Amino acid sequence: MEEATVCPVPENAQPPKAEKPAKDSAAVRRKALRISLKTLFYIMMCVLAVLFLFPVFWMVMNSFKSHEQVYATMDSLATFLPASWNVGEWFASYGNLFTTFDEFGRSILNSVMYCAITIAGVLLINSLAGYALARFVFPGHKTLVTIIILLLIVPVETSIVPQYVILNTLGLTSRDLRVVGYLLPGLVSPFYIFMFRSYFLGIPRELEEAAYIDGCGRFRTYFRVILPCCLPVIATVSIFTFMGQWNEYVFAQLMFSDPTLQPLQVYLQLINNFNPKDISLIMASLTFSTIPIAVVYIFCQRYIIEGVAFSGLK
Amino acid sequence: MNTTAQAREGKEKKPKKAYFKLFGRSYGKNESIIGSLFVLPALVLGIVFVVAPILVSLSYAFMDANLLRLDEAVWNNFGGFGRLFADSLLWKALGNTAIFVVITVPLQMAVALGLSLLLNIKWLRCGLFFRWAFFCPVMLSLAVTSMLWMNLLDYNNGLINALIVQLGGERQQFLGDPDQALYMIVLISVWQGAGYQMLIFLSGLKNIPREIYEASGLDGANGVQQFWYITLPSIKPTFSFVLITMLIGAFRLITQPMIMTGGGPLDSTLTMSYYIYKQGITYRDVGYSSAIALFYTVIMSAIALSLRKLTGGDNT
Repeated sequence: MEEATVCPVPENAQPPKAEKPAKDSAAVRRKALRISLKTLFYIMMCVLAVLFLFPVFWMVMNSFKSHEQVYATMDSLATFLPASWNVGEWFASYGNLFTTFDEFGRSILNSVMYCAITIAGVLLINSLAGYALARFVFPGHKTLVTIIILLLIVPVETSIVPQYVILNTLGLTSRDLRVVGYLLPGLVSPFYIFMFRSYFLGIPRELEEAAYIDGCGRFRTYFRVILPCCLPVIATVSIFTFMGQWNEYVFAQLMFSDPTLQPLQVYLQLINNFNPKDISLIMASLTFSTIPIAVVYIFCQRYIIEGVAFSGLK
Repeated sequence: MNTTAQAREGKEKKPKKAYFKLFGRSYGKNESIIGSLFVLPALVLGIVFVVAPILVSLSYAFMDANLLRLDEAVWNNFGGFGRLFADSLLWKALGNTAIFVVITVPLQMAVALGLSLLLNIKWLRCGLFFRWAFFCPVMLSLAVTSMLWMNLLDYNNGLINALIVQLGGERQQFLGDPDQALYMIVLISVWQGAGYQMLIFLSGLKNIPREIYEASGLDGANGVQQFWYITLPSIKPTFSFVLITMLIGAFRLITQPMIMTGGGPLDSTLTMSYYIYKQGITYRDVGYSSAIALFYTVIMSAIALSLRKLTGGDNT
């Protein structure tokens, strides 16, 4: 990392050299030095890029092979290349996933369903609360804001244990209700309430007042006038909720021992531990479960950076 | 405040609007009802799943309680806390977590900051490619990362060992070796997470005006001075924020050991969060688990809050 310290201000201070033909050889030598330094720099960048990329690249490439091909190529650079250049054969493992593991398709559906429900619930519940805390004066609203900020600052170890105890007491860990028990705790988030509240504070009041004068009720004003104004924050919250829910592992593996209810992240472990081991199936399942997140990162980067920047401002 | 102005306006519109007083403040009746209704779902869920767990944890910390027989929980006269100090496994877990935090946080900060500085170079070509390359591991979930590296680090059939053998080295146990496993988890975590903080640093760096560098360059400041006196102070708020969130995340490490090692070998990767989980869920000792959680929350909060003060990030 030593190079890094000097890097943000490269040669800002260097005077233009083209105007001084007198010091020809010195200039040439300096240019040569600069070019070789730059080459070194780019080599280092490439090494770094390889360090970060190769495991992911290997995962994707080996999901395109068969189990035997993976091990046959392991000790040469061919391990990073597909076994054949016939693209049609590449996706055999992905098809096999569905036939070998009965619940694989089911677990994808579960993940999609859990994500959809969570996103809808998170948006509705937290935006309503954020709106109320931004606009209405009612007994306790200041206390609530203080509590929310406190929850954001103090890192309480509210690990899964007491949460599970509560779900257990409420009867939400029973066979029929565990989906509810799994999803409910994730619906409310002090962070999202705070985020919505900050956004609503920035929306001019005149907007609602105009709606009230036109005879809109509070709820209709909220859904018809206010929510459409805050699409960016809705997008950010949806994306973060999606990524959190799709990737959630610990709580899900506690709640669902039954494969028919497991989300993909937990079901992956069954594939990973399956005997006889088929590494191409493992890599295919890992790659498959990453695709939605990759798509979200690639297409929604703007909202992600906005969300990150907001949490930094907090 | 603005809200009172709005309330007044509402009063002019509808002269019948009712008010009530509570603790010396007056509230619009309508507004209170609507406001409470809007807050209600979040409030109920928040009480049940955020506040109640804290209270449950607080009260069970002083009781003997079994997960399956919670109604028989009894006050144990601080027995749980007495047990804390005699529990060698707990101190092992605390030590493991401390090692993980103390290495991971500075290392990941340095890597993230270094990468962002590299990407912020004005004449860098293919910046977008490098940015995505460094960011790529962030797209993997913790579960996927863990399972991928389990396979990469496998003793007989792992890519890394194949590489080591090719280069003439000896096969390594990695996750199966009590001396290596925790450090492997450190490296994997840094590899997986650094790209995310890199992005945060990069957005902070992009906000520094170029003119400052140019002006200081004219005044004769060299690269190191510019980094020290311009770059670092400018990204200090970002730095503080990243540090705190990363620290809390590191304190809560659980997924990677849970999947990759199950806390082993020889408890060398048992972390505090995982130990709390094991005591509460696997051994069903909710009382003791809560006592550890309370003890751990105090430690964690003290460190996080003092660091927040220290780095000046307390602008909330």
